[in-house]
Amino acid sequence: MTVMQTGRNVFPFTAIVGQDLMKQALILNAINPAIGGVLIRGEKGTAKSTAVRSLTKLLPGLDVVADCRYGCPPDDADLQCSECTVRVESGETLPRSRRQMRVVELPINASEDRVVGAIDIEAAIKRGEKEFEPGVLAEANRNILYVDEVNLLDDHIVDVLLDAAAMGQNTVEREGVSVSHPSRFILVGTMNPEEGELRPQLLDRFGLCVDVEGIRDVRQRVEIVERREAFEEDPTAFAARFEPAEKAEADRIARAMSMLSDVVVVRNILVAIAALSIELEVDGHRADIVTRKAAQALAAHEDRAAVGLDDVEHVAPMVLAHRVKPGLSGSRRGLTDLAEILRTAHDGDGSLEN
Amino acid sequence: MSLMPNSRSVMPFTALVGQEAMKTALVLNAINPGIGGVLIRGQRGTAKSTAVRALARLLPEIDVIVGCRYRCDPEAPASWCDDCRARADAGTPLVVERRRMRVVELPVNASEDRVVGTIDTEAAIKLGERRFEPGLLADANQGILYVDEVNLLDDHIVDVLLDAAAMGWNVVEREGISFSHPSRFILVGTMNPEEGDLRPQLLDRFGLCVDVTGLRDLDERVRIMERDSQRSWDGAGLESQFLDSEDHLKAVIQEAKRLLPRVQITPTIGWFIALVCIDAGALGHRADIVVSGAARTVRAWDEAERTVRARAAGVAAEPDDRLVVTTADATTAAELALAHRRRNRQDGVSQPGGAAAERSRERLEEIAQEAEAAVVSEQTSESGAEPPDDSGSGEEGESPGQVQGSEQATQAVTRRSAEQLFEGEIFPVRKIALPRDRRSRSTTGKRSSSRSSDKRGRYVRATQTEKTTDIAFDATMRAAAPHQVRRRADQPADHVGPALHLERQDLRQKVRHRRTGTLIVFVVDASASMDAEQRMQATKGAVLSLLRDAYLRRDKVSLVVFSGRAARVVLQPTSSVDLAEQRLQRLTVGGTTPLTHGLVAGLRIVRTERLRDPTVYPLMVLISDGRGNISLFGEEPLVEAQRVAEQLGADGVHMLVIDSARDHTTRPMPRVGSHNRPPLFGGYGFNACRDLADRAGGEYLGLYDLSQGAIVEGVEKTLRGRMAQ
Repeated sequence: MTVMQTGRNVFPFTAIVGQDLMKQALILNAINPAIGGVLIRGEKGTAKSTAVRSLTKLLPGLDVVADCRYGCPPDDADLQCSECTVRVESGETLPRSRRQMRVVELPINASEDRVVGAIDIEAAIKRGEKEFEPGVLAEANRNILYVDEVNLLDDHIVDVLLDAAAMGQNTVEREGVSVSHPSRFILVGTMNPEEGELRPQLLDRFGLCVDVEGIRDVRQRVEIVERREAFEEDPTAFAARFEPAEKAEADRIARAMSMLSDVVVVRNILVAIAALSIELEVDGHRADIVTRKAAQALAAHEDRAAVGLDDVEHVAPMVLAHRVKPGLSGSRRGLTDLAEILRTAHDGDGSLEN
Repeated sequence: MSLMPNSRSVMPFTALVGQEAMKTALVLNAINPGIGGVLIRGQRGTAKSTAVRALARLLPEIDVIVGCRYRCDPEAPASWCDDCRARADAGTPLVVERRRMRVVELPVNASEDRVVGTIDTEAAIKLGERRFEPGLLADANQGILYVDEVNLLDDHIVDVLLDAAAMGWNVVEREGISFSHPSRFILVGTMNPEEGDLRPQLLDRFGLCVDVTGLRDLDERVRIMERDSQRSWDGAGLESQFLDSEDHLKAVIQEAKRLLPRVQITPTIGWFIALVCIDAGALGHRADIVVSGAARTVRAWDEAERTVRARAAGVAAEPDDRLVVTTADATTAAELALAHRRRNRQDGVSQPGGAAAERSRERLEEIAQEAEAAVVSEQTSESGAEPPDDSGSGEEGESPGQVQGSEQATQAVTRRSAEQLFEGEIFPVRKIALPRDRRSRSTTGKRSSSRSSDKRGRYVRATQTEKTTDIAFDATMRAAAPHQVRRRADQPADHVGPALHLERQDLRQKVRHRRTGTLIVFVVDASASMDAEQRMQATKGAVLSLLRDAYLRRDKVSLVVFSGRAARVVLQPTSSVDLAEQRLQRLTVGGTTPLTHGLVAGLRIVRTERLRDPTVYPLMVLISDGRGNISLFGEEPLVEAQRVAEQLGADGVHMLVIDSARDHTTRPMPRVGSHNRPPLFGGYGFNACRDLADRAGGEYLGLYDLSQGAIVEGVEKTLRGRMAQ
């Protein structure tokens, strides 16, 4: 496991040219981690990992229990690990500290014991005690978990990863240890579809999915190279140049986070979302729930008090890109009909017959 | 031990929208553990896991013996653990307390030592005591054992689970520990059938089974979103909003548990249940037993609902001492208990709702009438005899009338199911089962040490080897644990060192399980000759059914199409069946037959994939009429194809040739020539496809055979050859 370097010399998020959808998907997840992560599909060299790394600079700091290995929140008893719960119950005041959100990277060759955690060999040999040595899933708690080439991971690793992502906790019953600890993270995966697909069951666990490709516009391409060169020449000066933009975006995200729960989603919007999933024959209900959350986050990011149909229309492709099955007969409606389905359902007379 | 979180913001059970069958099945099990658990099958994102987790908070209280770590049932001395028995024998009074039943979760990646329990290494090393450390099977005693994604559970864990479930007892013989303890649990599993099937023995262990799908109702979907939103912003508010209904259901479950012993089954209902089970073609008698148990529970639930409501309204209510199961109760029970026991299911997944459910309801009504008639004829023939009173009367002494009634009803039912069977044959289900590769599981000892660089794959077990290269620390520690006292005693008194004394013979090697993937390369002829007689249609059908199976097995598939003057790789090896289906649909036919090109392209794919994963098992399925007419190397096209076929055989590619010319218009041809080396052009009778198959050492089938299911055997046979390797 490697914690990505998030020190001073990080290419600023706002300096990334283009790739607006990807950036937006990341921001939406930052605003509401319950959206369930992003899967970024696309070729190499499209600023995927740069964007993820620099995103953390825009996020507000986290309050953590200083000496907790899972970085538990000191104030939210519901989200604390069992160790912290015990300490609170015994009357202890938990030591606090504040830190930045981190990006924890999961290497492609990670073994299962490194991911979920394993028995602490040192403690076992030296003291004969059976202790749990936390793995990547513990490290990732309240951070961003970045998996490059998620489609090349072994199936069983992806299984535990997505299980933890869905439950917000990691349950270990193996190699002699029995532990359950919180593991809530924003999952960001990247993949190149040409090298193999992810199983649909796993795809569904990613909240959003965006496709990125290299920018075709010549002017923008030149811009990319220029910025990169400027950054490498003098990172500090470059960062200073983008400081106002970074600050503005950070403020915007912080404001969105605080107002998120107050953003109204009226019933007609929900009806439109449900109609969309039914029309496109999406399995299950996760798509509905994610669409609502993403639309709400988008409205918050744009400082609007209520979710509009435009918000839904904007986020729906990100939610559905990996969930709509390819039509076999061609008669089925596809993503191209999205706007029409939404408007028909929304502007319907409010009755719920479809 | 991972108990389900009880306090965290869980969606209240009663706040779940729709999915009534699933909720009913879960509640029935909470009332009556004897039903034997429930399997919930369904698409992703249909609240399967959420429901099970929510149930944890509604579970009734049970009597347990104080101080027993297996929570022994005071009422069942036969299933007491050694400890409780010893205490009882010694005359110590056993104190009883009420504890809430619990849900113990078994994660899919759990290792065997944690499931069955093992030696307590800490006690062994520190105190030198040989103690048993209970595993999940101990925790689950008198509770619910919940397995999410139960179809992905490793086979050796499934074996352990089945053993314990069958005996109600967990017997541990490992690492110097010999121990047994009661393990009677309700098995609850959730799975997505798209991810693979469940082993039949395990499937049968589940008393009930429900299939869930996403709701199609707009209003309900909207409500789901609203509730989810409320839970994330105001979990406490949602909980308090549903507090009353949760409390009510909790009370009903407890009350139903109390009423259950009073519920009886009349002979008519007994007949009905037996007939329904026969009609469904359920094997064995577990179905009958489960349906009866579930039907009684449905009645108890219904009565409990009424009494609890009445009491809440301030009316003292006590139902009759003798409660009787109705046909409706039995119908509800049968629907839940027979879903996974029906023979002749289509494709493993039954679709709830719709016309099928409508039909089966009608069918149940008919059976109910037949049962009624049978019992009436019994009674009239016994004219004057007492009306049958207890449920057992059906089996006792058979009067002529009884026989008559029973025969009539049984005949009617069996006749009906025979008709259904016949209908089923008209629409052949082309289910092609490729056997699972077990070879990788047995990679232990020398073989795996010769591949020591490959430490990938999932660690499933540990074993002892001559040379340990991939140490399984936990197993090593457990192996060393029993000897710690002696070894410490052997050390000089002033010795300061690690607490754990390891010796060479303790070392354990990890046994890793990595699926050696199968790569199926379809090489499909798209020349003009494939246009005839809808051959392409049949071919697409065959490939699609193979594709579906490939997905379940996580095989990779690749698609090569040849026509005109070249072969095209339509699909690079992928595990995405959706993608493959999509590409396949777009195939068009026309042009000449560059057979060699196709075979060479296929061979190239196999070779590339082998570079990536040397353990891959390649299978090439060639669908063509074998009449290549375009040359690749400047030789006679047929000779070229034969050479490539031989090369494929030499490369270890397993070959299945499906002869598209042998379709329903032609009769199977007699075999020509010697087996080893048929003549090059044997004239009219020469079968180019069989020749290619022989040269590659593969199998030969006609497209004609597809409709007869022979391809199933064909593929199985081809793959079984590899097992013998």
